[in-house]
Amino acid sequence: MSDSPILAVKGLRAGVADEDLDILKGVDLALGPGEVHAIMGPNGSGKSTLAKVIAGHPGYEARGGSVEFGGEDLLEMEPDERARAGVFMAFQYPAEIPGVSIANFLRTALQSRLEDGEELDLFDFQELLMERMELLGMDASFAERHVNDGFSGGEKKRNEILQMAVLKPALAVMDETDSGLDIDALQVVARGVNALREENPEMSVLLITHYQRVLSHIVPDTVHVVVDGRIVESGGPEVALELEAQGYEEYRKAHAA
Amino acid sequence: MRRGTRRGICREAVLEAGAADPAWLRARREEAWEIYGAMPLPSTRSEEWRYTDVGRMLPFDELEPAEGGAASGPPGELRRAMEQDRESAGRIVDVDGRVVSVELDGAAAAQGVVLSSLREAARAGVHGVESLLATDAVPASDGKFPALNAALWTDGVFLYVPRGVRVDRTVRLSRWVSRPGTATFTRILVVAEEASRISFVDEILSPGFDSVTLANTAVEIFSRRGAQVQYVSLQRMGRGGFYLANQRTLAERDSTLDTLNVALGGSAGRVDLNARLLGPGANSDMLGLYFGDADQHFDFNTSQDHVAPNARSDLLYKGALDGAARGVFRGVIRVHEGAQGTDAYQTNRNLILSDRAVATSLPNLEIEADDVRCSHGATVGQLDAEALFYLMSRGLERERAERLVVLGFLGEVLSRLPLGGVADKVSRAIEAKLRHV
Ligand SMILES: Nc1ncnc2c1ncn2[C@@H]1O[C@H](COP(=O)(O)OP(=O)(O)OP(=O)(O)O)[C@@H](O)[C@H]1O
Ligand SMILES: [Mg+2]
Repeated sequence: MSDSPILAVKGLRAGVADEDLDILKGVDLALGPGEVHAIMGPNGSGKSTLAKVIAGHPGYEARGGSVEFGGEDLLEMEPDERARAGVFMAFQYPAEIPGVSIANFLRTALQSRLEDGEELDLFDFQELLMERMELLGMDASFAERHVNDGFSGGEKKRNEILQMAVLKPALAVMDETDSGLDIDALQVVARGVNALREENPEMSVLLITHYQRVLSHIVPDTVHVVVDGRIVESGGPEVALELEAQGYEEYRKAHAA
Repeated sequence: MRRGTRRGICREAVLEAGAADPAWLRARREEAWEIYGAMPLPSTRSEEWRYTDVGRMLPFDELEPAEGGAASGPPGELRRAMEQDRESAGRIVDVDGRVVSVELDGAAAAQGVVLSSLREAARAGVHGVESLLATDAVPASDGKFPALNAALWTDGVFLYVPRGVRVDRTVRLSRWVSRPGTATFTRILVVAEEASRISFVDEILSPGFDSVTLANTAVEIFSRRGAQVQYVSLQRMGRGGFYLANQRTLAERDSTLDTLNVALGGSAGRVDLNARLLGPGANSDMLGLYFGDADQHFDFNTSQDHVAPNARSDLLYKGALDGAARGVFRGVIRVHEGAQGTDAYQTNRNLILSDRAVATSLPNLEIEADDVRCSHGATVGQLDAEALFYLMSRGLERERAERLVVLGFLGEVLSRLPLGGVADKVSRAIEAKLRHV
């Protein structure tokens, strides 16, 4: 915790571009290298908005405060620059890209990380992809499917994890990756995340979830509770357990008062 | 460079083109020229030419009929395009409207397959040419440009596959136009006899030109009972090129006659494709793919004529348009009286990549039978912002992300194509073009 944070969010106010209303009303968050922070909160409280502002979604704008990643001003960077710098977001609702295979997509993503004129070694790539799919218990044919096109909810989430495992980010923002997964798939996803953290103990994770269940597989250092665009409580894993038992009513009341 | 005196498009040019022809062909040219003279130039007042103003786009008075190419073999660019091809059963090279070389696999030749310069086949009286050239498929009476082609064609391809002969590898035509301001008139005649099989790829390339340069093509394809035929046109001319083609496919009982039109190059392209389903059990898959940028203009006018009952046709044309490019698709399914049990489908999808690009899509149905299954659909859409963000969030630069979306969009057409090697070649050509956008 004494390390300087990999992700530092300070007083962040943000909303939908071209709309006055703030969705995030002053968020502070500091994530150290190798830490796992969970974010919980009721529907519509601004969790995905926070994730998208970190990833650089053009539909949202930051209107106050700052977001730094490894000491750099993240808000000044294009989404692709953020990704190449090591930010990865697993989407709550991943987009479909008809006609583009997962393998081709990932190859292009890795190629984008190389200098001009440098060519990705296709043999190495194939090996990495196969190894990652094996880690996640996926059939080799999965990589030939078109990105999210006609995927079930669970397949989309697995695809997000596969991409994360191939791209090896420094910061993974996972937006409800555990929602809609069956018990086996949840374990596969958790195993994937934990294996990546073992490989790279510096990898930090911001895990947005509604369920305590996933936190028994991916154990957080800190749990934050977001209500109406603000972090209203931060604490250890016990916070999630309390939420599971009591719900958000107390926070809502306290917040409204 | 050899250059005759200027002739322009005129009767002398018709006589010259037919100078060494047999009498029947000279007569046919004369007749076609008469028809040409009697027909007005298509105007934008007609429904079929509303979006392509040929009168303005083609300087008829300045075009010079091409006189054939140098015999020194194909130029570098054409050779490079040819080297990308997988092995073929036959190969014919045409430069400036003249066939300069013909090669046919020995085994195919031994089975009676004929691959020849059309001009030589006509002069030598090869069986089938006189009866099928500009008669049942693309006769002069079809329109202004079919008439002009029938009068002025200088060469092309005659491909004949005898009954029961199945040629597994592709036969390829590689065409090169080198001279600015010329008009090249080419004909392709393919006859696949009963239960035979053939696939034919027609690729045209050219350098960029300062003045409008016309490549006019008439394509006539016959698939007899139970035959399987594929025709692919790859249009990769340089800027200034105007590609104008009339294609007609005649599919008899239980035959398969599939086509793919790819338009990537040239300044303008207009393709009129008429697929005729003449016998029960006939099937035509009709694929099209176009990708325009700058001020490129592509116009496709297709028709699916179900003359016989219980035949099927399925059309899918997809285009991406960038810059100030324009795409026009006009398609009609015609189910003739008595063509019960028809299955006919038609889909045109466009992806618009810039605010200056325009796509026009006009699907149509004319149905005179009652027991039919028909559908048509058209879409014009923009790049999906969420998809782009998704790709960029994985580290792809905007251009690379756009490229991938376009390739994926167009790839649906290629994935439907069974022909080995063509899909690779086309996706490479599209990728090369995308890198310049
Ligand atoms: N693009 C948008 N346009 C309009 N309103 C939006 C947009 N994005 C978010 N909002 C609104 O902002 C609020 C926060 O949305 P957000 O998606 O961040 O919530 P969330 O905490 O992720 O909720 P959930 O748990 O349901 O996923 C909601 O009221 C939502 O309707
Ligand atoms: Mg959300």
